[in-house]
Amino acid sequence: MNNGFIINLIPGETFLHKLSGTTKVRLFFVLIIYLIMSFDIRLILPVFVAGLLGLFSLKTDVAALRYIIVFVVAMNILNIVLYYLANPHLGELYFGQETLWFQFTDHYIVTYEEVWFLMSRLLKMLATFLVSLVFILSITPSEMAAGLYNCGIPYKICTVVELAFRYIPDIYRDYQNIKVSMQARGVELDSRKAGVIKRLKQTILILIPLIITSFDRVGDISNAMDLRGFGKGRKRSYYSEHEATADDQKVKIVYLLIAVFDVLYIAAKIIYKIPEVWYPW
Amino acid sequence: MKEKTLIQKFLGTWNTKTIVGVAIGAALFGVLMNYGSIRVFTNTSLTTAMIVPVIVGALFGPLPAAAAAGIGNVIADLIGGWGFWFDWSIGNAVLGLFVGALPLYGAYIEDGIFELKHMIIYAVVVIVGTALAFGLVTPFFTYLWYGGELTITLYQGVVGSVSNIIVLLVAGIPVLKVLAARNAKASNLRRE
Repeated sequence: MNNGFIINLIPGETFLHKLSGTTKVRLFFVLIIYLIMSFDIRLILPVFVAGLLGLFSLKTDVAALRYIIVFVVAMNILNIVLYYLANPHLGELYFGQETLWFQFTDHYIVTYEEVWFLMSRLLKMLATFLVSLVFILSITPSEMAAGLYNCGIPYKICTVVELAFRYIPDIYRDYQNIKVSMQARGVELDSRKAGVIKRLKQTILILIPLIITSFDRVGDISNAMDLRGFGKGRKRSYYSEHEATADDQKVKIVYLLIAVFDVLYIAAKIIYKIPEVWYPW
Repeated sequence: MKEKTLIQKFLGTWNTKTIVGVAIGAALFGVLMNYGSIRVFTNTSLTTAMIVPVIVGALFGPLPAAAAAGIGNVIADLIGGWGFWFDWSIGNAVLGLFVGALPLYGAYIEDGIFELKHMIIYAVVVIVGTALAFGLVTPFFTYLWYGGELTITLYQGVVGSVSNIIVLLVAGIPVLKVLAARNAKASNLRRE
């Protein structure tokens, strides 16, 4: 998985790229709350479709993303299988009923409710993934900091997030280089050839140079920031943030509506005890 | 230099250097969480990322360590694609608070001070902190936000705690020792 493709530092040209940082961050926040609050497939499906549309609207190089998409889908399916193995009676827990479909053993039965729950869960995970992917692809670290700042978060914390995103590709590249050069020196990381504890000990050999190179940067970066007067003022403005355009105003209506819906849904969930997962039968 | 009070050590000084340190720590946490891990159980893996708050804590104090772990976990979720689990982010932040407490008991990695005494305290703090963070804090927030699923969170909590303790002890102590030894070379002057 190459992160160089995911975090972009240059703003793009499509509709989503051109929205201001504030709009993107707020839209992302309300959508994430929306996805966390519900396991309801009726609510998740529209966001999933919107996420797909958003991804295509970005006109990114899908071939470059193929690897991460395959990886995430495979991992989520694996997670679902592990979920099933951990507790095959989730249907009972959530819907209070079980309809047998077929069974492997006495404990490992497959019920329609269970399949429905796991499907909802998978869709929820994939929708969350799509929303995060579109968000990451459409935003630059600087815009993200500007957006967070406009949500009322102190600018020092925004800077932490911005710098972290800025340096992930660099640190990832260092990590790969150190890993490859250590493997060239005979460090065995293949799971077929070394046990877990052995691999863990080998990982230390990668970690130490990685930690040292990463934290050696801190002095340079902080000196450069200090020299430019970082942290002297109480407020901060962002070069990447622009005035709200007509598109921003339209999206603002959308995210405000979703925000209102979020609040109402959560309130309704607490007051009326709506079941966690919607099951039609 | 004036000796700092316990509270000052706990909070850390939030100057530019600390901010950059926390940011680099969070980035490192995100990278290690996604690429430097060995999968054990659903949503839980033997990740080496937990070393990062230890280092951030050793250099800047417990609260910066907690910030690095919390923000790092959110970033890892964002680029990892397994969905957002803020209950775990908070659990990791709380754990960061514990494992990053090195300066509170006198282990100054920056000055090369990390002795047997500190290793033992570190080990105890790691075990207690993990148990608290993953046994109490994370399930509490899971219950609050996601409801139900407590059995799975507890499973994950147990597996996560055990794997975290293994990583923090088996990998953490050697890393700290090496870093302390590296820094000690620069300061072996004695006052006569």
